[in-house]
Amino acid sequence: MSVIEVKNITKDYGNNKGVFNVNFSMDKGEVVGYLGPNGAGKTTTIRQMMGFIKSDQGEINIFDLNSFEEASSIQSRLGYLPGECAFMDEMSGNEFIQFIADMKEVKDKTKIQSLKERFELDGRGKIRKMSKGMKQKVAIVCAFMQDCDVYILDEPTSGLDPLMQNRFIDLVLEEKKKGKTILMSSHLFEEIEKCCDRAIIIKEGKIVCDRSMDELTKQKRKTFTITFKNKKDIEQLSVKFKTGTIEAKNFTISLYSDAIDTFIKEISKYEILDMNVQVPTLEDMFMHFYGGDNHE
Amino acid sequence: MNKTLFLKEFKSNYKIILIFMAVLTMYSSMIVAMFDPKLGESLKMMEQSMSDLFNAFGMGNSATTLIEFVGNYLYGFIVIVFPMVFIILMVNRLISRYIDKGSLAYLLATPNKRSRISITQGIFLAFALLLLVIYISVLVILVSQILFPNDLDVSSFLLLNIGLYGLLLFLSSICFLSACFFQEARFSTGVGAGILIASVLLQMVSQVGDKFEFLKYATPLTLFDVNGILASHQEAFVKVGVLYIVAIILYFIAIKLFKRRDFSI
Repeated sequence: MSVIEVKNITKDYGNNKGVFNVNFSMDKGEVVGYLGPNGAGKTTTIRQMMGFIKSDQGEINIFDLNSFEEASSIQSRLGYLPGECAFMDEMSGNEFIQFIADMKEVKDKTKIQSLKERFELDGRGKIRKMSKGMKQKVAIVCAFMQDCDVYILDEPTSGLDPLMQNRFIDLVLEEKKKGKTILMSSHLFEEIEKCCDRAIIIKEGKIVCDRSMDELTKQKRKTFTITFKNKKDIEQLSVKFKTGTIEAKNFTISLYSDAIDTFIKEISKYEILDMNVQVPTLEDMFMHFYGGDNHE
Repeated sequence: MNKTLFLKEFKSNYKIILIFMAVLTMYSSMIVAMFDPKLGESLKMMEQSMSDLFNAFGMGNSATTLIEFVGNYLYGFIVIVFPMVFIILMVNRLISRYIDKGSLAYLLATPNKRSRISITQGIFLAFALLLLVIYISVLVILVSQILFPNDLDVSSFLLLNIGLYGLLLFLSSICFLSACFFQEARFSTGVGAGILIASVLLQMVSQVGDKFEFLKYATPLTLFDVNGILASHQEAFVKVGVLYIVAIILYFIAIKLFKRRDFSI
């Protein structure tokens, strides 16, 4: 069953800014990475999901409730982490967390305590004087303080150090195990690769890619570089594998997963001095979508 | 109304309320202390020589009784203009700043309806103004009793303060509406504040001579008719009633607008 349904939403700010005919849905327990270059429309989509702005066209349903009209009913089961850190500056971290807990009517404070310990958050100081990373920790505590069914996280790890980023990934994986539905926008591919089942990429307000991680992994082409003892072996091989390139005694070829078996069986017939395999990162693949038109 | 939010606003803003109370204490007690039944004559002479200046600040009627004196010198300008600054400041802190900084996102990400949040902020503003008006009333009565026992007509004075609260509520509703309506911070604070400042200036000009008297119809401050209230004119009470009714209507519209608008937060 779909927990989140984004149905053909358009929000046009003029000058090609905004989102246009965005469609996707998320099932219960799915963790989706929402990616795209700056200004692509990630936050605009999330604001519509949160009911902060009205779509010009289309609608978003979360738990079968309209995200704008019934926002307050949705919010009781949703944890949100805003993309921009803006707090009530005059409060201390602890005061702010307590205030949000009261506003959300969170009775059980144990999760707050364990989150503060996990992220080593000292909330005694005024928020105004906190570093970006510290503020982000406050935001994380506020998003996860309640046992929600859906989490919407807008660049949740920005400003965090690598250690805290890993702890955050662990937290997301724990929530995923509990069957929570999570949408997170991010620029860190490693984070997306570790957490998400699926990646949606938005560019210039339009979705350009919506695929499962498995599919994306299958699409990875590994690059094999094999050094042969005899040069004539290379020539024989290159007749069968025409996409390969020859350089001295090296034969280099990029292959999809399904072609690897035949390739390995073929080269096993020859004498090999060395072999090198290059695995492209998810980043290399996403860069294709991020980059300018020259890639398309 | 949301109690948690109300208490949070009280904690964040009580210092400002205290500062304005302190300023008003200084001015009001000074004005009351300046009252001298015999001074009436010399003030009258001063007023005749600088009648335009006195008129501009709404102090044109020579006052012989304590309540006329307070009505003339305090309720013509000071207890309107200082609370006005307070209103502009508070609307900015209660609405515009949340929208501009984006911290409203945290409030809207709780299971509270938008209307509940804006109603809480509106009630807090009305409550803070009520505190100021009650404080001024009590203060003036106390100072008068100490300095000039039994000289102040307390019941007329209380009526005057009911009128003052109506005026301040009305002025706050203009700023509140402007903050809820405009997207950009400079307009959301600027338009409300601009209308308030223009109202004061128009009133000041309209009170100088007959040439610009027609301008009194262009400023809502005319609806708070101090002399009319003190003279128990029916018309003056109707005007106060209009202030209350329009204020409530404007608050109502503001809350409706807040409910449907876009927040780029």
